[in-house]
Amino acid sequence: MFGKYKPLWGEKTQLKSSYDVVIIGGGLHSLATAYFLAKEHGITDVAIIEKNYIGFGGAGRNTAIVRANQRTQYNVPLYKEALDLWPVLTKELDYNLMFNNCGNLNLMHSEAAMKAARMTIATAQFHGVESHLLDAKEAKELVPALNISEDITFPIHGAMFHPPGGIVRHDAVVWGLAKGASKYGVQIHQQTEATAVNTKNGKIVSVETSRGTINTSKVLISAGGYSASLIYGMLGIKLPISVLTIQAMVTQPLKPLLNHVVSSGAYHCYANQTLKGEIATGAHMDQWPNYTTQTTAHYIKHQAEALSEFLPCLRGLRFMRIWSGLADMTPDMAPILDGNDQIKGFFMNCGWGYFGFKSCTVSGKYMAEFIAKGEAPDMIKPFNLRRYEQHKLMGETAELVTYTPNN
Amino acid sequence: MSLTITCPICGKRDGYEFRFGGEDKGPRPEEDGLTPQRWCEYVHLNECVAGVQKEWWVHKDGCGSWFTIHRDSVMNVEVATLEAHK
Repeated sequence: MFGKYKPLWGEKTQLKSSYDVVIIGGGLHSLATAYFLAKEHGITDVAIIEKNYIGFGGAGRNTAIVRANQRTQYNVPLYKEALDLWPVLTKELDYNLMFNNCGNLNLMHSEAAMKAARMTIATAQFHGVESHLLDAKEAKELVPALNISEDITFPIHGAMFHPPGGIVRHDAVVWGLAKGASKYGVQIHQQTEATAVNTKNGKIVSVETSRGTINTSKVLISAGGYSASLIYGMLGIKLPISVLTIQAMVTQPLKPLLNHVVSSGAYHCYANQTLKGEIATGAHMDQWPNYTTQTTAHYIKHQAEALSEFLPCLRGLRFMRIWSGLADMTPDMAPILDGNDQIKGFFMNCGWGYFGFKSCTVSGKYMAEFIAKGEAPDMIKPFNLRRYEQHKLMGETAELVTYTPNN
Repeated sequence: MSLTITCPICGKRDGYEFRFGGEDKGPRPEEDGLTPQRWCEYVHLNECVAGVQKEWWVHKDGCGSWFTIHRDSVMNVEVATLEAHK
């Protein structure tokens, strides 16, 4: 137990003076991209440059929920493939990602919400994703702890049940992908800050880091909530992103009680029971951009009020921990996956908002293909940056999101 | 999250009384010769500075006035000038 142990992702390596591909950011999207670059495309001369430690940002701060019940024709197949990848990767990486396929229950609190759910379900079924509309009684049969009475702030009209979703252990995904990528020779450099990206004649030539210059012709910036600031700061490319903090918290552990992820748009609340028994629940965001990752009593109160209305058996529980992370929100709630456009050899993967965890594996897969072949794969072509100037926003939300100053 | 904002009419107030109105992008571009790129830049694109930026706010639960301030997005505090924290 106290003897020598072997790190999961290889020994500490010297930073070389050149790599085929440099990835800035050591989160899930970067690790997944590096893994697929090495495994699917044989590009193993890859460096991941991480300022802190892998999984420092959104990768370790999300609430671990995975699902594919989005609205648009572009998003649904992407998230469906992401869901399908969990069991495959668990096997490939030889690492237990603890995919708990418990399904997601989205509560609806009005007839209008039921109509929106009907449309979402039709889209899901068209794309071969399982999703059902339930009335309030059926929802209560699934989650007996639900309060379906009329005397709460937002009475429950029904729910959308999405069995393929669930929860994945997010730290395990970080470690598993790091293990998988480094097995193929990808170098993960933690505590290394990228400070500049140099271009010449519209092409990437090198990356400056706190440990020296790296010559490379391909750079991917995929640094979660920090991407937009880095991309503008290093390359002067402005993005349709607002970076907000989102908070989450867990209660003391309980015996098994919630066997599905339960969420409610009207209450701005989602909750799931972790494998340790804690109720992990998350909240609305503070609606102005900041990079603090501060937490506030305001949201503890809000979550407590919401949960004690629709899951009244949780009244009197104590919250154990609260934390927050960054969400880089776009006006259409869809990511920006682009490259080889503004600058040759420059790729970006950002704007996932709070969908970054559920999508990390599939975005890594397609960004790897994009980087390897130089052409965007069909699956991610619609997510280019130019869609905003062409007025081809995705319409992932029924109305403009309230999280950004856009409405 | 603790934040105070100075409204030009009401003075220093709790940040939750206000609504963020976006980064300051200068005046609305002229209609003549306006390209989709320039319009997109004005409507959608942000600098997302981790540091001090000039930005719009509206005193939504107060006097309703629109105004700009400088705020440090890393410290989450209002500051006097763009150079204040550099």
